Formats: sequence, C-alpha cells, structure tokens
Amino acid sequence: MPEASLATPAAHTALASPRVRVDSMALLVVPGALYLAIAFAAPLALLLIASVVRDGHLALDGYARFLADPFSWTVLANTLRAAGLTTLICVLVGYPTAFALARARGAVQSALLAALILPLSVGVVVKAFAWTILLRTDGVVNRLLVGLGIVETPVRLLFTETGLVLGAANVFLPFMVLPIFAVVKLIDPRLEESAATLGASPRYRFVHVTLPLTMPGVIAGVAFVFSMSISMYVIPTLLMGDRFKTLSILIARSFLFMRDRAMGSTVAVVLLLIAVAVVAASAIVTRRWQAAR
Amino acid sequence: MGQGDGRLTARGAAYLDVTDVAKRFHDTPVLEGLDLEVRAGEFVSLLGPSGCGKTTLLRIIAGLLAADRGRVRLEGVDITRVPAHRRRVGVVFQSYALFPHLSVADNVAFGLRAQGTPAREIAPAVARALALVRLGHLADRAIFALSGGQQQRIAVARALAVRPKLLLLDEPLSALDRKLRETMRMDLRHLLRDLDITAIFVTHDQDEALTMSDRIAVMNAGRIEQFDTPALVYAQPATPFVLDFVGMSTRLRGRVAGADGDLLVIDTAAGRVRAPGHAAAGANVLVAVRPENVRLTLAREGDNAVTLKVRDHVFLGSKLLLHFHASEGDHAVAELPAEAGQGVAPGDAVTVSWAVDATLVYADA
Amino acid sequence: MPLARATAVVLWTVAAAVVLALLAPLIVTLAVSVSASPVFNLPPPALSTRWYERTLRLRDLWPAVRLSLEIALASTAVSLALGTLCAIGVTRGSFPGKTALVTFMVSPLMMPGLVVGVAILQALRELGLRDASASLLIGHVVITLPYVTRTVVASLTLFDFTLIEAARTLGCSYPKALVKVMVPVLAPAFLTSGLFAFLASMDNYPISIFLVDARHKTLPILMLQYLEENPDPTIAAISSGLILVTIGVLLLADRLVGLRRLADF
Repeated sequence: MPEASLATPAAHTALASPRVRVDSMALLVVPGALYLAIAFAAPLALLLIASVVRDGHLALDGYARFLADPFSWTVLANTLRAAGLTTLICVLVGYPTAFALARARGAVQSALLAALILPLSVGVVVKAFAWTILLRTDGVVNRLLVGLGIVETPVRLLFTETGLVLGAANVFLPFMVLPIFAVVKLIDPRLEESAATLGASPRYRFVHVTLPLTMPGVIAGVAFVFSMSISMYVIPTLLMGDRFKTLSILIARSFLFMRDRAMGSTVAVVLLLIAVAVVAASAIVTRRWQAAR
Repeated sequence: MGQGDGRLTARGAAYLDVTDVAKRFHDTPVLEGLDLEVRAGEFVSLLGPSGCGKTTLLRIIAGLLAADRGRVRLEGVDITRVPAHRRRVGVVFQSYALFPHLSVADNVAFGLRAQGTPAREIAPAVARALALVRLGHLADRAIFALSGGQQQRIAVARALAVRPKLLLLDEPLSALDRKLRETMRMDLRHLLRDLDITAIFVTHDQDEALTMSDRIAVMNAGRIEQFDTPALVYAQPATPFVLDFVGMSTRLRGRVAGADGDLLVIDTAAGRVRAPGHAAAGANVLVAVRPENVRLTLAREGDNAVTLKVRDHVFLGSKLLLHFHASEGDHAVAELPAEAGQGVAPGDAVTVSWAVDATLVYADA
Repeated sequence: MPLARATAVVLWTVAAAVVLALLAPLIVTLAVSVSASPVFNLPPPALSTRWYERTLRLRDLWPAVRLSLEIALASTAVSLALGTLCAIGVTRGSFPGKTALVTFMVSPLMMPGLVVGVAILQALRELGLRDASASLLIGHVVITLPYVTRTVVASLTLFDFTLIEAARTLGCSYPKALVKVMVPVLAPAFLTSGLFAFLASMDNYPISIFLVDARHKTLPILMLQYLEENPDPTIAAISSGLILVTIGVLLLADRLVGLRRLADF
C-alpha cells in the first residue's frame, strides 16, 4: 500500500495559534480516533499496566518467572522461527508473483487476482482445515512430492513444523503479494527503458533499479506477514495440535483452559511488545530507505 | 569526442541507416516501410502530429521496440537484433525518467557504473557531464528537488556521460514553459554541436524543428513525406501536408486552364495565376504561396496578382499578418513589416501580388 | 534474448504454481464435502450430499451464522461512518501529527488478535459489560475500522477537489456537490473497504473467542469447535457453503467495481 501523502490544503477556519494550526475540518477525525483510543489503546494500556502492577505496586515477578523458565524461551523460539520461515517463503514466492501479476493483462490478470483474493475472503478456519487434509500422508502434497521425485516415500507433514510453515505461508501469501504489487504497478516503465539505453544489462537493471524501487512494498509485506505469523492461532492449533507451543497458543490456553490470568497477561504483553517492535522496525527501515535516496 | 565530420563514412554508407521499417500495433499500421539515413554529426528532427509514428520509430532505433520488418544499421553494423543495452544509443525521454531513488550525481553515473567503468574514472566523468549542462553545483541534490528545466538538463547529462554513438530525444522540451523552451533549444543545439554528437529529435513543434535541425523528416501517418533541410522544407514543401504542417500559406484551389511555356495557367476563385510546373489541362490543383512572399505594393511585371477583401489584421510586434476572405476551403494570408500594413483595415479590398517563381502547385485529389 | 525468456518462464511457472497452491485448499474442501466417506479421503470413493443434509439439521449452526452476519454488517456500517469521517478530516483538515494519527488508526491490523481480544475482554469486565453481542460489536469495530480508514484516506488523497469547486460554480451547494461528485468517485473505495471489513469480521477468531459466551457463538468459533470435537466432512460442507457464497460476493464486487480495485485494499 503506497503511503498516502498528506498535503494540507487551505485551512477552513484556524482555531488555534498560528504556530500549531488546527482547523474545524480536523474535528472530523475525533469520533474514529476517540473510539480506537477507548476501545483499543486503553484496554491494551490497561493490560500492560495490570501485568506489571499487583496490589498497588510495581511487580515484575511475572516477567521474571516467564524469562527464567526455559520453556518460555522454547515457546518464543518456536514463535519467531515459524514466523520467520513463513515470512521468508512468502517473500521468495510472493515477489515473483507480484511481478507476474503486474505484467499479466486482461483475463490472465483477473484470474491471478481472483486466485489471490478468493482465499483471503474464505476464512482462516476453512483454509487451515483444508490444509489438514492436504498435508496428510496420502494427501495431495505428499503425492506431488513423490511424483516429482523430490522424496522417495511420503513424508510426515501434519503435526510438523514444516507442514505448519507451508500452510501458514499459503494462507498469508496474498498479504505479501498485494503490497508488492501495489508498488510495482507504480514504477514508471520508462525507468527501466532508460537504464537499458544507458547500457545496463537486464540483471543490472533488476538489482539497481527495480529492486530498490520495490523495497517499500517488500518492507510493508514483510511487516504484515511477520506480524500475522507471530500472532497466528487457528493455523498452528489445527496443523500442530498440542505438540508445538507458540505464544498465541500459550495465551489462549492460559485464559481459556488453565484460567491462569496472570501468566496469560504476561505472555500477552510479551507478544504485544514483539508486535509493536515489528511495526516500529518497519517504520524505521522504510524511513531510512526513503531518506537515503 | 568527435564521431565524424558530416561526410558519409568510408564505405559510402550513412551513419544511421534505417531501411524499410514497418510496425503495426494489433491491427493498426503505425509505420509503413520507412527509410531514413542520417549522417554523422547531423541533427535530424522527426516532425509530425501525434500518432504519426515518430516516437515509435525512435523506440525502434533505440532498441526498446522490435519492428515487424526492416533493418537498422549504425556505423555500418546491423543492430536490428541487438538489445537496447548494447546499442550505445542514448535516449532522453519526454518525462526525463530520472531515477527517483538516486541523487543527481548517481543518476549521471548510472550508465558508467552499469557498463563497468573503473571507479576512479566515474567522478571526473560525472563532473564533466554536469559541467556540460552547467549544473555541477547540484550533484548531491535529490531529483524531486529540481525544477523541470534542471531535470531536463540532468537527463541530457546522464545520456551524454556514457558517450553514446547516437542520441535520441523524445520531445524533451515539451514540458517546459515557452521562454525556458526557447533558451534550452539553443543550449541543447550548441552542446550537441560542440560535442559533434549525431542526434535525432522528435517534436510536434515546427518552430523547434526549423530552428534546431540540419534536416527535418516530416512524418504523417507512418510515412516520411519530406526529408530536407529546414529551408527547403519551408520554401519547397513536397506535399500539401508538409505545406500545411510547417508554416502558414495561402491556399487556393483551382483548375489548370492551359500552359504558357514552362508555366501553368490556373484559374482560381480569386483570379488567374501562373505557376511553374506541369499538369494536364483541366486538372484540379492546389496553388500555394508563403505569406512573406505576398506584397501589398504595386504588382511587378509578370507577377501573380489578385484582389481580396481583408478579414483580419493580426499584429505580431515586428510584423503584421493580414488574413483575407476567400471562397470555401481557400485561405489567403500575407506577412508584412508592421509599417506596411498601416492604413489597411478589415473590410478593405486590396490587391496583393507575388512572384510567379514563389508559387507552389500540388495535385488536388 | 534468452535471459529475458528464461526469466519470463520462471515468472510464469511460479505464478501458475502459486495459483494452484492458493486454490488447492478450496478445491480440496469442495471435493471432501461431496464425498460419501466420513474419512477425509481423496479422491472421494463415491459422491454424496449427506454432509450438506447434515448441515441443515445442525441446531447451533444457523444461530451462529446469523450472529456472525449481524455483527459483521453492524461493525462494517459503523466503521464506514467513523472511518470516512476520519479520512475526510485527515485529508482536508490541518493539524499536526497526521502521519502518526493514520498509523494509529491502522495499527489494530498489526497487533496480535488474541492480545487485543484479551485486553478488550478485561476492560469490558471492569466496566461490567457482559452482553456477548455488544462486546463482539465493540471488538469487531476495532478490527474493521483500519480497513476503511486506510482505503478511504488513499482514495481521498487522489481525489481532485477542484471537481467540487466546479460543481459549486455550476450551482450545487457544498453538501450537494459532495454527494453528487465525491460519493460516486469514492464508491469503489467504500465498496472495497466495506467488503474487506465485512470479511475480516466474519472470519475473525482471536478477538471473538474471548468475547463470546456459551449461548452466543460466531461461525468461526463454532467451526473450530466442530473440528476439534467431531471432525467429519460436515465441516467441509459448511466451508464449501462459505466458499460458494464468497465466490458469489466477489463476482458481484467485480461487476460493481472490478477485481483490480479490490487489490488496493
């Protein structure tokens, strides 16, 4: 999604001092912003506070216990590793797909778009369920692997991390392709032609013109897919069951099954902080990227 | 940096030789078996209305588009199948196509780096290229911080930095305002002449073509109607299209009444005129003459003379244009020095005359 | 050029593989739903519509579908209203910190759903609100609002406001000009963002799981429950129903705004 440039047109009526201009139009943002502040930001803030305060004073022992437990680190590693692999696969597969989408015309482009958008709208439960079928030992994926000669006998994919990553990458792929596609669409074709007339080989043009110009889309896609992957719950529940614990699964179990609100809150805040870090990092990387140009 | 002295190369072949190039998009023919020969060091304009195929021809020469048939040869070498990045043909695009993610200096250095120029030679080459367009002080700027005129000059510097064998320019000045455009025309022309670069310049602006070119190729609907020096294109347009597209003229339709030695005698709605040429009696023809040849003073012996009523009186500063009433489809215009037209008002009936030799005749379908 | 052709081959191969991979889950679901076998075997040994018949007899299913639809429609409507107002304020008003505000408005998309769900649950408990429908609505507006805000801001940024001025010089009052000129131009943005907001709400699990109660369940929660309790192809039949409905909705959306617009979510 290209960053919308926010130019300020002529103000309607200035309300505040000339140094800080706020006009009457600005008030229109209040209902929406206030709603999110109350229904979204405030509860998260309360969660954060509740996790570090007990009986009126600062108590970080919940975190201390969490960090001291080796099991926590396993869960953290699981979460980050699965998310990282999923994001990597999405980038490697999604990048060429975005280009294919941009170059396709007419019916082919519509078909590609439909293939990307239809799964998005069907729902994660449906897709995760379908992947439980696809990943079976006698399922389509295994038959394909054996048929292509990649493996000799069917591989166990269900309840493995490999299967999880494959399923998750499949579900999140559109969220990588569409942001990159949005940026590729905007690239002036004359730029590549210009580079060619200056003597740049196709490889050089890709590395020095196309890749840098598509970076903002890649960064956006990576941020999206990574944050969704670290938060995913339905997919690992169905594809991995009890064996594999991620932070989300831990949170759900704490609240829904174990009734351990304290631990649940602690883990929730850890996951939240990671998510915030991802958003901040992508914003910094994007800004650094734009500024360097 | 010389690439030739305007003469044909040793083997008698032109510097750039385009032969029988044709191209169609879907079912529409855009270029129809076109030929073009450009000499080394020449500045050639491709002049024509939108849709005439001039940009298509340019892209074929640059290697950005493949022709359906025909050949392109540069310095005797057939480059028809050579990909764009190996042709050493530079292009300045209408939108400049500067790389937004690179600074001015990096833009100019791009081609040098892409072609593997040793690092220590790049900075001096960039400095030289920027000096050519007098923008050395902007080397570290970002592209979006430049004005339109500056961007245009950077685009030229970038193309010249890699010393192309041929420079193609696709309406590079059309986005600039008038005053700037006129200055840039001269700057560009001097620059290319000093560097002795062979250039092909696409434009729909006849003034640009006339002021800048060594030769002009006037194009219409995928064909070159005339390829001559500006003087010849203006004074002796080969077809009615060239007549109309370049400059103004008086146009009178008429019928050949007979011959008088080497001259044709033609009856037009405005009167009888004579013109050099050959045609059968009774043929329908178009008679034309350029406005600066039309005089208000007493006709001299042997001149063509007609009496017309003045319609408009257009003051242009140093000169004056008089437009006359003429019958349907005809048009008469005279260009005079400002004082000469004083006292002439719309509605006046005036006798205008011009030399028979200055009269142009075309077959009228 | 051989390299260009090799690149094109790779590109199209990847694209074709991706299309197959993306559609595979849907095809599999449809195939299993018409299988006569209660075990998930492919290809199905025999065809049968028994799972669809079972769907019609499931007691809990239809209330869940109804609840999901109600919540989705209501939250989409609220989001369209709040989000559009906000977008107008952002693009036409002047105040400091615009980029920060837009980032904030879009941020719920990037936050872990479970965490947001827990947080909202605990906040609502503190306030004493226990009604499942109201809680779900509150939570779902949080996740649908970003879609609307972002899409409408992008669309408004590209909108040429001199069109409004032209309408006014031709005799329209300001509100009338907005309705006659801006709304039609923005309609695709409303449709696209409304569609994605609706689907996000229908599909949402992480927030809903904390806000439902035993008597009020949304569709995704019910489906996951079925899957965990008695996995049989009934779930495939329900899923296939969803797939077919979604195809219908997308065809309609394509007819109205074109698929390419949907890619600008």
